[in-house]
Amino acid sequence: MNLGNTTAHELAAMYRNHETTVTQVIEAAFDGIEDRDADIGAFLHTRRADALAEAGRTDASFARSEEMPPLTGIPVAIKDNMNLRGMRTTCGSKILEDYVPTFTSTAVERLLRAGAIVLGKTNMDEFAMGSSTENSAFHPTRNPHSRDRVPGGSSGGSAASVAAGMAVLALGSDTGGSIRQPAAFSGVVGMKPTYGRVSRYGLVAFASSLDQIGPFSKTVRESAELLETISGFDPLDSTSAKMDRPDWVASLDKPIEGLRVGVPREYFVDGVDRQVQSKVEAGVARLEELGCRIEDVSLPHTSYAVATYYLIATAEASSNLARYDGVRYGYRASGGPSLRDMYRQTRKDGFGKEVKRRILLGTYALSAGYYDAYYLKAQKVRTLILDDFRKAFGQVDVIVTPTTPTTAFKLDEKVDDPLSMYLSDIFTITCNLAGLPGISVPCGTSSEGLPVGMQLIGNHFREDTILSAAHQFEMAGGFKS
Amino acid sequence: MKIGRTQVEYVAALANLEVDEDEKDELAEQLSRIVEFVERLNELDTDDVEPTSQVAALGPEISREDRIEPRTGSSEAAREVGLFKVPRVITER
Repeated sequence: MNLGNTTAHELAAMYRNHETTVTQVIEAAFDGIEDRDADIGAFLHTRRADALAEAGRTDASFARSEEMPPLTGIPVAIKDNMNLRGMRTTCGSKILEDYVPTFTSTAVERLLRAGAIVLGKTNMDEFAMGSSTENSAFHPTRNPHSRDRVPGGSSGGSAASVAAGMAVLALGSDTGGSIRQPAAFSGVVGMKPTYGRVSRYGLVAFASSLDQIGPFSKTVRESAELLETISGFDPLDSTSAKMDRPDWVASLDKPIEGLRVGVPREYFVDGVDRQVQSKVEAGVARLEELGCRIEDVSLPHTSYAVATYYLIATAEASSNLARYDGVRYGYRASGGPSLRDMYRQTRKDGFGKEVKRRILLGTYALSAGYYDAYYLKAQKVRTLILDDFRKAFGQVDVIVTPTTPTTAFKLDEKVDDPLSMYLSDIFTITCNLAGLPGISVPCGTSSEGLPVGMQLIGNHFREDTILSAAHQFEMAGGFKS
Repeated sequence: MKIGRTQVEYVAALANLEVDEDEKDELAEQLSRIVEFVERLNELDTDDVEPTSQVAALGPEISREDRIEPRTGSSEAAREVGLFKVPRVITER
């Protein structure tokens, strides 16, 4: 069997009707990875033996009862910055190449408890720093729609694994767009929940005030299901929100007639590819046909978001990555006359170019004499960006934008130009700074056959609104427009 | 603000990073461009704006009773000698 376009819901029904077994599906998934992943490079490591053992036990459970959680037996891929006990977490970095965690992240734990089968860990930009998955210390990942193009990043492996039909679902993490941007480039659904919705315990920290775990899938319904499974309060993450977890799947069909949809004029500017713009405008028109009320909104500080983000994210990263010094984790350089020499040499050998660049920028922004001018200034502009959204959400329920200014770019095109790489996240970064939920859904393809993504942003903890709007957009044929 | 070689060396030392001689000029040039880009924030008057350091919905409920609870992982890390085991840092030469 080919997992190609099979959804989690179709598989769930097939298991319950005894049309297939979990073992057959997991075997097919690994056959698919063997056949296709040499070309794509979505996975860093897989766990065939463990997954098949779990599949066997799951089949035995299905034989006894059909009352199992909806994700039981569904093959899922995990970005390699989330811990799964006993399996390496490399974070795409040489410095963690041999790091084997002794505990499982909360999100993955919840997935396993729901019966999902983890296939393996997916490729990513080192420490989630990048927008193309070219910054992996191991190999780049290629876009399944066009092999000479990037899948986006930093969760490019997860996006590509779903786009290529190797995994049915995947988890990624999103600090400045690292789920939504690769979802857009790879033609799948990807969502960043509200900050605090999903526990970050066991997720390797990049920028702690921005990081959030979220789902990839082919349909909106599956993302809703996966998000329901992984979200909820966790005492092990002090920023995790003590909020009720709504039944997002049940509210997918809630009528969206009369929903107020804001289109920020600042997001339809010069520099946005004409085809991307026209596809997203067509998407907005379709939402209007579905009964949404389209309104202009203004987010006047949008053009300052990338600068704000690169100061805050790098400052937090320089602090978070200070722990990789060769003492407690993974790689350690040999030699050097002093302990400090060992730290420096370890970090020099272990980190790649982009990670070093960001550590240096973050350290600079926090250093004596520059803290007020850079880090504090960025935190103040973050307040202005948050205020823009507060005002906009006083007026509308959902904000719609292009997910990215262009379709997937070519490998090597931006790798030596950090600033231009940073600017590919221009439309996704604001959600992280403001802590808002955002989902990217496909809205057609360019004349070259490359996917275009449309982003729906909701107010804090209103994932229900963007999920139902995105689902009904999908049902109306919006993904293929 | 233009960043030169000396500043790259200074910041690298603060960050415990060793930077190769032949990388310093390239890094100085790239960081200068990024810093020049982020300086556009100075166009905004933020004198009366409070900084935002985080956006979590933190309420009083985030603090919990001060009680020791078993933690996954730590017992396993300490399995062998009852302590966390890390590679030896100071070795004989």
